[in-house]
Amino acid sequence: MYSLLSILAATAAATQPLGISNKHIDMQFAPRTPHQIMSFYEARGFPPEMIKILSRKCFITVRIHNKSEDIVWHDLTNWHFSHNGKPLKREHRNYWLDKWNAMNMPKASISTFRWTLLPESLDYLPDEEEGGNIILPRVTGPITLNATFPTADKQLGSVISVEYDELYCAEDNAES
Amino acid sequence: MMAMRLLALLFILQFATVNGLAGPLAPPKGIRHYEIGAAPEFSVTDMDGQPFEFAATRGQWVFLHFWASWCGPCREEMPSIQKLVEAFNDHGLRVVLINTAEDEDTIFSFLGEIGMKLNSLMDRDGLVTEKFKPRGLPTTILIDREGKVQYQAIGGREWHKPLYTDFLRQLITDY
Repeated sequence: MYSLLSILAATAAATQPLGISNKHIDMQFAPRTPHQIMSFYEARGFPPEMIKILSRKCFITVRIHNKSEDIVWHDLTNWHFSHNGKPLKREHRNYWLDKWNAMNMPKASISTFRWTLLPESLDYLPDEEEGGNIILPRVTGPITLNATFPTADKQLGSVISVEYDELYCAEDNAES
Repeated sequence: MMAMRLLALLFILQFATVNGLAGPLAPPKGIRHYEIGAAPEFSVTDMDGQPFEFAATRGQWVFLHFWASWCGPCREEMPSIQKLVEAFNDHGLRVVLINTAEDEDTIFSFLGEIGMKLNSLMDRDGLVTEKFKPRGLPTTILIDREGKVQYQAIGGREWHKPLYTDFLRQLITDY
């Protein structure tokens, strides 16, 4: 089992990506402020009801790049967030889909929203890169991520293990 | 009699290879085989309101590219796609861009901002994009002359570089 412990600086401004890197994968994290979230969705014509709900959440944009020569399997069921030692529940994309449909939101907004989310699962071939948003409850203080990524065909290779404890929910006053 | 059989076997083997029965062309890194059968049919309009029928692309390889202006890698990739269009000039490869769920103003403004001359189809409610089940945005899907999906590329690529243009040329020449 490979061990990737939290590596790169977390001391920069709120909008600067944080990250983890080793010979297998690069992961970048960019916490988004409520103002950034509202601006993004407002600019795309999202209904105020959606924006109001989303701006109260904690958005972290994640990008994953498979630098290895093997398949890296990503599955959000293998990602576990915690805050102050307690689990922090991430909402599944189906939760959001059901919510928006129940609110009768426009199809275009639902579609765009869906594409801004990090896929629930993905097999990253060598040199593939993809990302999206993770949505968590808004909390104050550091958030820890523990995640594992099986590798190789049929997930029979080594498992990449990631522990990162420098995530956080960005606040508007931290925006650079 | 034996010599005749050998000659016949050699002829069959050569015929099979020439006609692509040796298997699909191995793609460069970053492009994967994505053989899901026939591409879903769709009809949409482009930025100028002109109708587009996907069925009209039969007989050509199609480079079907899903994008959105809010997606960083999509923005970075667009100049490369413009160069690809200029390099192939519609000879054997039809480059088709589909914007996912944005409006005309957003698309015009974005393409104008980065100086692109490309036209894009508009998947106004995102339902055409859903049909193709891309793995993320941007995604490019390569569809053969018979309308069958053959390859998929996820994330931004420097499509105008020889790594990709050589592959695409071989596809449209030999397959």
